[in-house]
Amino acid sequence: MSRVAIVDYGINNVRSVKNAVEYCGFDPVVTHDADTIADASHVILPGVGAFGDAMNNIRARGIDEMLERQVREKGKPFLAVCLGMQLLANTSEEHADDGVAHRGLGWFDADVMRLMPNDPALKIPHMGWNMVAKERDHPILANIRESNLAFYFVHSFAMRCRDAGDVVGFAQYGQPVTAVIARDNVAATQFHPEKSQDTGIELMSNFLRWNP
Amino acid sequence: MLKKRLIPKFLLRDGRLVKYVRFFENERAAGNPVTTAKVYNDYGVDELIVLDIVPSAASRGRVVDIIERMSEEIFMPFTVGGGVKTLDDVNMLLRAGADKVSVNSEAVRRPEFLREAARTFGDQCMTVSIDYKRISPNHASVFIDGGREHVALDPIEWAQRCEELHCGEVLLGSIDRDGTMSGYDLELIHKAASVLSVPLIVSGGCGSLQHAIDALEAGASAVAISSMFLFTDHSPIKLRSHLFSRGLDVRASFSSRN
Repeated sequence: MSRVAIVDYGINNVRSVKNAVEYCGFDPVVTHDADTIADASHVILPGVGAFGDAMNNIRARGIDEMLERQVREKGKPFLAVCLGMQLLANTSEEHADDGVAHRGLGWFDADVMRLMPNDPALKIPHMGWNMVAKERDHPILANIRESNLAFYFVHSFAMRCRDAGDVVGFAQYGQPVTAVIARDNVAATQFHPEKSQDTGIELMSNFLRWNP
Repeated sequence: MLKKRLIPKFLLRDGRLVKYVRFFENERAAGNPVTTAKVYNDYGVDELIVLDIVPSAASRGRVVDIIERMSEEIFMPFTVGGGVKTLDDVNMLLRAGADKVSVNSEAVRRPEFLREAARTFGDQCMTVSIDYKRISPNHASVFIDGGREHVALDPIEWAQRCEELHCGEVLLGSIDRDGTMSGYDLELIHKAASVLSVPLIVSGGCGSLQHAIDALEAGASAVAISSMFLFTDHSPIKLRSHLFSRGLDVRASFSSRN
């Protein structure tokens, strides 16, 4: 059986993503090896940590080129999670030095901005269970009732897409928060499906069976 | 908006689930933590809190093993604590699968530790756990070392100080009400919720569905529950559907299946 590659770019906790893939009945491998990623049926880009460090690690290991080839050229199904999703943007203002934003992979015409809820009582990070309202259907959300689209979020920055067609769903936290984006064989979630119980497992299971 | 949370609280002693009344009385064995966690997972609770109440070098290994086993089959946030004193302790628990680490006595002894840990791992990873007792009708005071040592701190002022030190969340527990199932300390919860800006998890006293409603209406972001889930027929499913039917903003359902 072909394996599911979980991209290793030096972040230290991918255990729950790996466990969730196993729980769904698939065979995960945490790797940054080009051949292993080339052999995988599906690719997951997890994410915890800071944008700048993550991009530096990705470039230093040549992961950007690997993903360009396997995901964008060969069309392998791809899921990016949390910071992983933000890395697909053009830029991020997270810890931007001297006002110069960090450059991302640029797969989506989007920028990553600090959350600024319009209610001062709403705290940053946006942390906890929140609902996602769908802008459109997508295979990774198949068979999940709308009233059950509650997911676990932990983040202080979020993506803003220029092309509304890229957005699959928003959460609300004193502002619309881009929660799910997708185009072609690429999907990404700001929340952590691997921490979102049955609904998150359902989403991951949908992704692992997705063959766009 | 963020949902109010239902959180079973597990106390571990030598790797076994235990429960007391007012921290020291009526020890009861409550089973295997991993098995019980799986049952609660099926019941759709929102998070789990796991605290090692008699921490030692040997018990840390057991806790790590338990968290690793839980994270193989249970996909929700875990807060883990008990005897956390160093950045290495925090790192070890996060690597085992914890999403947040709870600090109690060490934060009182060395407040800078909380700030350092928040700087290293992120505010969202650090929960401060505060146990308190009413020492007179109008005066509450913090206790550390599992309720053994009295320190001259007001629990609400201490919680505010922890917020300044960048804790991401406060777990506030009444020792007087622990295990009694006599209801939460609503007065103190109301006061704490009105001055804190980080989420407030309350613990100690939940014995009925109404008690949980009262605490959430008093301003708590989450209710931690131990005895009621372990020793009564009020399951998390029953509590969630009751809260939902009363209009509280909790997750609607635990199952994603159509």
